[in-house]
Amino acid sequence: MKNIIVKANAGTLTNFEVLDLLNSRGASNDTTTRVIAPVSTSEYKVYDYLMETPACTQTLEILTNFSDQCKDFKLAKAEILNIINIRPSFTVELAPILEEPIERGIDNKAIEGILKLVEALLPPLPTVEACGENEEEETEEGEQS
Amino acid sequence: MFCLSELEDTVRVPPDLLKLPLEVAIKKVLQKLFLDKVLSIGLCVSIYDIKSAEGGFVLPGDGAPTYKVVFIIVVFRPFVGEVIAARFKESDSNGLRLTLGFFEDIYVPAPLIPRPNRCEPDPCNRNQMRWVWIFEEQEYIIDDSYQINFRVENISYPPVPTERAEDGAIDDDGLGPVSWWEGCSERNNEDDDT
Repeated sequence: MKNIIVKANAGTLTNFEVLDLLNSRGASNDTTTRVIAPVSTSEYKVYDYLMETPACTQTLEILTNFSDQCKDFKLAKAEILNIINIRPSFTVELAPILEEPIERGIDNKAIEGILKLVEALLPPLPTVEACGENEEEETEEGEQS
Repeated sequence: MFCLSELEDTVRVPPDLLKLPLEVAIKKVLQKLFLDKVLSIGLCVSIYDIKSAEGGFVLPGDGAPTYKVVFIIVVFRPFVGEVIAARFKESDSNGLRLTLGFFEDIYVPAPLIPRPNRCEPDPCNRNQMRWVWIFEEQEYIIDDSYQINFRVENISYPPVPTERAEDGAIDDDGLGPVSWWEGCSERNNEDDDT
């Protein structure tokens, strides 16, 4: 089977955009909907992975707003993508994302600025206990209805 | 982590799918062909869109029409230097293996585990080895209690194109199990003051 790859890279996607795509096809956490929705098992594995990352709390406006404000810090596109996907809360989490920060003039002040922007604009990941509570609430509603 | 790729291929639509709308039928065939398969451009995760489908000729001796389809798929293709959050899967004397759920071939070879470290037989699992990082006289065990952040170092495709392995590094600041770093920001601030 010969595939002709027309364009190997027709655009990079953030985790949020892939999650949004799966959501629009009907993917969800509800077990009954899972069987009916036109989403395959392997796509559900990706959905489950993404629901545990910060992507599950993001929206398109949040991301466009964040990448606009990132322009001041002169970050590479790949670095902005990494920050959106990982949502670092501490300097030490941001460090492996930035490449050669000292040579590019990104000092501690700039790093703190980036972290403040992340804290202000990107919603944090819900804690594991909160996620557990949400699941319990859903099942209770299911039983009542 | 993910990106879109445009492909063009000739697709044979089996006759039993012809009662469905054409786009749905072609999408079903594409999903069967590409979903969860590793191509040279990455792991195909989802069919994004069908741009065009032309042809529909029935070849002699065959009951099924063949279409020339141009379509876009979502591929999982991390770039070298990307930081990804993964879960611990297993470990042995050569290193660790991490998983993302949909992709399980992430290996952290022993030289890329933070040093100083030691490897000991795991008391819970007879066949596995457990890696422990020793830092400032405190020992940190690498296990599946928290997610592990790793940075992609190398992507390799084995000769038979069914699996694809990634090498990751966790020996840098901020990489490794997230629990190691959660309380760390306070410590870092103190260091700056002194």
